[in-house]
Amino acid sequence: MKAFGNYHPATLMIYFISVLLVAMFVSNLVLQLLSLSGAILFSVMLQKRSEILGNIGFYIPLFLLIAITNPLFSHNGVTPLFFLNGNPVTFEAIIYGIAIAVMIVGVMIWFKCYGEIMSSDKFLYLFGKAIPKLSLVLSMAFRFIPLFKRQLQKVNKAQKALGLYSSKSFMDKLRSSSSVFMAMISWSLENSMDTSDSMKARGYGLKGRTTFTLFRLYSDDIVLMTLCVSLMAITFTGIATGLTDFHYYPYISNLNRSPSAIIIYIAFGTISFLPFVIEVKEALAWKYYISKI
Amino acid sequence: MKKRLLFGLVILIILVVIFSGMMLFKDKQYAWISISVAVLACVPFFLQFEKRNNDIKKLVLIAVMVSLSVISRIIFTPLPGFKPVTALVVITAMYFGSEAGFMTGALSAVISNFYFGQGPWTPFQMLIWGLIGFFGGVFAKRLLESKFDLAMYGVLSGIVFSSAMDTWSVLWVDGSFNVSRFLTTVIASSQFMIIYAVSNVIFLLLFSKPIGKFLDRIKTKFQL
Repeated sequence: MKAFGNYHPATLMIYFISVLLVAMFVSNLVLQLLSLSGAILFSVMLQKRSEILGNIGFYIPLFLLIAITNPLFSHNGVTPLFFLNGNPVTFEAIIYGIAIAVMIVGVMIWFKCYGEIMSSDKFLYLFGKAIPKLSLVLSMAFRFIPLFKRQLQKVNKAQKALGLYSSKSFMDKLRSSSSVFMAMISWSLENSMDTSDSMKARGYGLKGRTTFTLFRLYSDDIVLMTLCVSLMAITFTGIATGLTDFHYYPYISNLNRSPSAIIIYIAFGTISFLPFVIEVKEALAWKYYISKI
Repeated sequence: MKKRLLFGLVILIILVVIFSGMMLFKDKQYAWISISVAVLACVPFFLQFEKRNNDIKKLVLIAVMVSLSVISRIIFTPLPGFKPVTALVVITAMYFGSEAGFMTGALSAVISNFYFGQGPWTPFQMLIWGLIGFFGGVFAKRLLESKFDLAMYGVLSGIVFSSAMDTWSVLWVDGSFNVSRFLTTVIASSQFMIIYAVSNVIFLLLFSKPIGKFLDRIKTKFQL
């Protein structure tokens, strides 16, 4: 289910940019944990069960690898725990390793969610007006890729029937696949030139042509956008005034537990968990309507 | 006058973005600067491309080369690092100039990441592949004439691509340039660096002649 994905592309873009800015560039442990947990919950809602299992198998080892190797690179910190090859392994370095693992895995999962939500049509819609020629090239490329893939399979089958790919040696494979690729290139170049002629004939680039889109800005979008921008303003004020300052070296600083800092944590936490909440709400509504039928 | 004003405004916005980011993200300011510079460095190329009165045929041709390089990246997924993307970008640049080269490189990075996953690495891949294409166009004459120069260019772009990625990841993780982590990353990814360089050379030598023939033909047939 993609309830969050039904919002307007501009709303989604503002949302992802604000979350990613904090997730990537702020080193406060609380904010990082909030971002990671928001990302995990959101991606669980977006993905199938089999995908989730695969992701767990990828992200947990990655997390451990980053966390464990950090003390080997950095010997800063004032609390040595033990010595390894004459170099101190400090408590601070271990904690910092865990913190950067939280950050990296969090950012990667956020980008995964971004990829799931921001499909190419939304991307093109957003940038189409600002960069018309580039987005034309992009949208043509998005169309050509599946077209060429299909053509590639056709050429491949035909070549196989003619006796290519018969031996198992690497050079032979490289040679046969590159000759198939060559056939592809000449076909696609010639074919695409027809496309450009037909575009010209239909008046591409003339004044007054409009493009069709399905996206409309609803009142829900305005609400979400306003909420997102205002919560982000609160978060950034907190960051700018040093409320969320946090450092690991030479010793780990105390977490700021003042009420104003807690407001910042709540503000960013709300942003981080927003997509999850929207997805859950939609899923519940769906279940409820089904049970009524 | 209006143009100059607009230019000044753009510069001002860029400076404001970079400096406010530096103030906000004190611990990660190097990562912030490098990623903003990577994004912003692409902007002039894109604007130039928008402004120039390019023929539709050229736009379609760039789209074709981008799709071919994305497909080649998909075909070669089983062999990590062993990809003809750089070779295709350089060949496009050799025959159609720096601008087409930059566009093919940068757009291949964006589009192929729709299939492989976007990430903080996207702006860097865009910039590096774009620049590989750009300089491929600048040195087009030498690359066309000498196979040795072509191979050297392939090796160089493999090394640049790999080490740029390593530098970025160190800056992001540590917030500063941690030499020991950089060296470890370089050693850990040296295998990829070698694969990049070797595959670039193989594909450039293998493809430059035949694809060049096609592109030359297209050039004369459709008067590009």
